[in-house]
Amino acid sequence: MTDENVPTWEEVARDHGRFLYTVAFRLTGNDDDAQDLVQEVLLRVRKGLATYRPGSLEGWLSRITTNTFLDDVRRRRRRPVDPLPENPDWVLPPTEAADEALAGAALPDDVHSALRRLPPDYRAAVVLCDVVGLPYQEIASALDVPVGTVRSRIHRGRAMLREALG
Amino acid sequence: MTRSAPEHAGDRLSALLDGELSPAEEAGVQAHLVDCMACRHEMETVGVARLWLRALPPVDPPFGLYERMLVPYRPRRRRVAMAFVGAAAAVAAVLVSVAPARQPPVSPSVATLIEAHATSGAEGDPLTNLAPAGVPVSLPR
Repeated sequence: MTDENVPTWEEVARDHGRFLYTVAFRLTGNDDDAQDLVQEVLLRVRKGLATYRPGSLEGWLSRITTNTFLDDVRRRRRRPVDPLPENPDWVLPPTEAADEALAGAALPDDVHSALRRLPPDYRAAVVLCDVVGLPYQEIASALDVPVGTVRSRIHRGRAMLREALG
Repeated sequence: MTRSAPEHAGDRLSALLDGELSPAEEAGVQAHLVDCMACRHEMETVGVARLWLRALPPVDPPFGLYERMLVPYRPRRRRVAMAFVGAAAAVAAVLVSVAPARQPPVSPSVATLIEAHATSGAEGDPLTNLAPAGVPVSLPR
């Protein structure tokens, strides 16, 4: 905590608040859960639970955010009450989204809602790669899985997302 | 159809798009793509998804999100800030009390101006002739 290299949570909030919220929002898929996640991340930062590694602060923040998110998901998964959504409209025939796709564009809202329907492990890999822009090696280290697994999740995640949007 | 490579490129296609393949791997995938329409199609599919994802805009946090979290941890800073505000107010008060004494006396006096205006008569358009020309005053710059 006294290490000068470790940013205070106030600095994180001030300088990276938008980034942090964006990652949390893309991971959780909604504002309420994103706010909770942001709060939990800042708590971890403040308590010094997360070990800061020299390098990109945003990479470090994304790592904490993703791990906190996946911890939450796993905690919830144990409760039978809230199974992860096998979303019914996943298999619905696409309508307007198909036109957008043909036109070579998709509305961010549609992309977002397709993203939130990906299984959490895939979503995490895709967010770290395409939203945050981390290299595979860093994603592997953040998620504590082999690079091959990262590659496969990113590829599969993109394919599922594309499929969902028609 | 699978002349260049015996198996489909699979997740190496995403890795290719992300620049995560070694030069040798990349050459292998490129060669495979020439002959394999299925892989070309798959690459296009994930490539489009990749672009859509990367085009997602940053999202502004709800107003006050961080401020609400920060408030309980700032009492010390606030006290320091208030002390500073107090000191600044004291300095300002001193400046204000000193300032009038430094002003040069107005010349000619306001009373003279009023008198000149009153005696200049009420003739003429009141809008364009409020202060008749020739009032004996030169305003300081």
